[in-house]
Amino acid sequence: MRSAWFGIATGVALAAALAFLTLPVVAIFVDSPPADLISALGEEGALDALWLSLKTTAAALAIIVVVGTPAAYLLATRRFPARALVITLVELPLVLPPAVAGIALLAALGPSLTFTTGAVVVALTFVASPFYLRQAQAAFASVDRSWLEASRTLGASEARTFARVAIPTAVPGLMAGGALALGRALGEFGATLMFAGSLQGVTQTAPLAIYQRFSTDFDAALALSAVLVAVSAAILLTAKLFGGWDAADRR
Amino acid sequence: MLRIAAEATLGDLELDVAAEVAAGECLALAGPSGAGKSSVLRVISGLLRPRRGSVACGERVWLDTERGIDLPPDERRCGYVFQDYALFPHLSAWQNVAYALTRLPRRERRPRAVELLERFGLGDRAEARPRTLSGGERQRVAVARALAVEPAALLLDEPLSALDARTRAAAGRELAAVLHAAGVPALLVTHDFQEAALLGDRVGVMDGGRIVQLGTAGELAAEPASPFVADFTGAVVLTGVAAPAADGLTRVTLDGGGEVTSPEPAAGPVAVTVYPWEIALAPRGTIDPGSARNHLDVEIVSVTAVGSRVRVGLAAPQPLAAELTGPAVTAMHIAPGQRAVATWKATATRLLPLTPQGSDEVRH
Amino acid sequence: MRWLLIAALLVALAGCGDDDELVVSAASSLTEPLTTCSGDDVKLAFGGSDELAAQIRQGVKPDVYAAANMELPNELYEEGLLEEPLTFAFNELVIAVPDGSEITAVGALARPGVKLAIGAETVPVGSYTRAALSRLPPEQERKILGNVRSEEPDVKGVVGKLTQGAADAGFVYRTDLVDGLKAVALPQRLQPNVAYGAAAVKGAGDDARRYLASLNGGACAEALRAAGFGTP
Repeated sequence: MRSAWFGIATGVALAAALAFLTLPVVAIFVDSPPADLISALGEEGALDALWLSLKTTAAALAIIVVVGTPAAYLLATRRFPARALVITLVELPLVLPPAVAGIALLAALGPSLTFTTGAVVVALTFVASPFYLRQAQAAFASVDRSWLEASRTLGASEARTFARVAIPTAVPGLMAGGALALGRALGEFGATLMFAGSLQGVTQTAPLAIYQRFSTDFDAALALSAVLVAVSAAILLTAKLFGGWDAADRR
Repeated sequence: MLRIAAEATLGDLELDVAAEVAAGECLALAGPSGAGKSSVLRVISGLLRPRRGSVACGERVWLDTERGIDLPPDERRCGYVFQDYALFPHLSAWQNVAYALTRLPRRERRPRAVELLERFGLGDRAEARPRTLSGGERQRVAVARALAVEPAALLLDEPLSALDARTRAAAGRELAAVLHAAGVPALLVTHDFQEAALLGDRVGVMDGGRIVQLGTAGELAAEPASPFVADFTGAVVLTGVAAPAADGLTRVTLDGGGEVTSPEPAAGPVAVTVYPWEIALAPRGTIDPGSARNHLDVEIVSVTAVGSRVRVGLAAPQPLAAELTGPAVTAMHIAPGQRAVATWKATATRLLPLTPQGSDEVRH
Repeated sequence: MRWLLIAALLVALAGCGDDDELVVSAASSLTEPLTTCSGDDVKLAFGGSDELAAQIRQGVKPDVYAAANMELPNELYEEGLLEEPLTFAFNELVIAVPDGSEITAVGALARPGVKLAIGAETVPVGSYTRAALSRLPPEQERKILGNVRSEEPDVKGVVGKLTQGAADAGFVYRTDLVDGLKAVALPQRLQPNVAYGAAAVKGAGDDARRYLASLNGGACAEALRAAGFGTP
């Protein structure tokens, strides 16, 4: 009797969570007929915003992966003084509200970058990197130590071990981190607005464009949101498939 | 010639070892887990830096803390077979082996890797991923991979322990042949004395971070330097108090009852060692009390077949064991619960002085 | 996003059923005076007037709505969401520049390389700005609009870009000036009529009307005048 009750309770909890998380997303698509979606996309500025979002997010992600992967590897495999402190510092942007992140960037880099697309990339990189770093670090930490040691005894340098053993075996975790970072970057709003401003084609990313439209043209906001959801979902699925396929191939 | 000397603190363990292994020779370090055996391998390969020490292989100095020399593992040509083989899961068997072949031009790597695998009878499994290989196959790939480096020394960590009992014997013989063919110094660690005896030209027993005795397996078994070594090599160890007797022999009163005689001089607390295959069983009442053999009243506790022999567990009340043939066991109707007499020669009775701590070493 | 926070706040407050508390949605340029003059039992939510209007359309129900123009309250009145709006304050659109700037007239904004921040089209300050610029000769208007580097969703955002030193000039209300910024007045012929409108939301109680009275001639009118707003 007791176990049946527990099963039902947890089932209800899951159903509630699922409903809460999916309803808003579903509502976006339900509220806008496909014809509206397409025409809203053709509207002035919508495509610009989407393209800018994709460009800047891709650039931010490239920086994050190129710089963050070796950094995460070092954090995961070496003990050094103040390691715990360094980890806390790189995780800091995770807990900063976007507005605070914007202020922080202004305080550090001044207004010289404001109004440029580069500023958008900087803001996205800042808020999204901890998402990647944490996952990547966990992925490298879970790589079997003996594989890395075996690689060294077989004549491979630290760099070769990193590239030929650590990365291939950590790929599922790295992909997961990349997907999280990408999602965060794609949706960034507050820090971008404060640090870069909002101008069509230059700094007005999709979230900023949605915000501008929602007060006067709710349908356009819906349409743009729907497209953003679809793009994010597509990226997430691709990352999962890639990561999953690799995981099944291991051990 | 591989030379190693090292001192290191590893948690609670103080490691302090020194050894030499000649080319073509295999030194097996045997001991219980936690004795520091794997650490010795890690020091030699460069994965662990000792507080003080030196490692030299032939002409090359790999480590010398006094002179500040510490070559990284990738610069020491040391083949290392890890305990779980550590095969790269994302690479096929031949790719694992080819990983070590970077000195060859790209197009020669695959043929050479396959050739090495064929030597181990794995040519047709070259494309397989490690997770599809059996334990024995993985072990062979790991050895092939270590040999691909053309190593100046070979290190093996429990090379047979991950295999099931049936594969172990065949794999052991194969490995012994490979080690001799390789012609380089080989150092092997294991917790199993039989494995060490099988594969090692010499055996070093390790305990508490030190090598407590070094010699051939036969020497260790015949003349163990301490009760620990005796116990580790599979001897029966009984404790008691010795006193010289009138006839020049030594009489030992065993703890818990019984008396045995030995030609070795001793006095005070001693450990009495004898090997199971030196012990015979006879029914009660058939022994001539005046014979030159030791007799002990025992109760039969267990009867276990081990390969082609039968190990009979006994209680006197201290535990001991006799090794007999199957037919002998059947003929004597030996079964648990029966009473019998265990006999063995006085000359096969070895005595070792027992320190108060030493009696703890004897695991009952 | 801010809208989510504000909406959540308003929904929580409005739906709270706490009849003692008055919920007022007001344009962000009203932040300082209204915060000073409203009592402890008034909950204020500031934002772009267009954003607040959209929330009311979506069903969020404050008690009072105060916007930086008359258009938005009139629209909502025609949609049956508000009672009839009245004008309670006036403001002046000015060009704000950092202290020590060499910009002294609107013509200077047309120079190449000038970085301008204005409000987005849909926000009152943004539409006032465009209305003002449309009264200039087309060539000048084009050059000035070409210098726009950011269209902020909120007048506070324009001020922020100026104070952080990123923009050389911006169009804000006179009441939004802060230390470090000075105003360049617009010629009279360009100045739009910046009239602030407020109304009680349909279904609000008498407290709402009392608050409107305060805006019109009571304590809040005083505060508005002190802050630099004009009053009818």
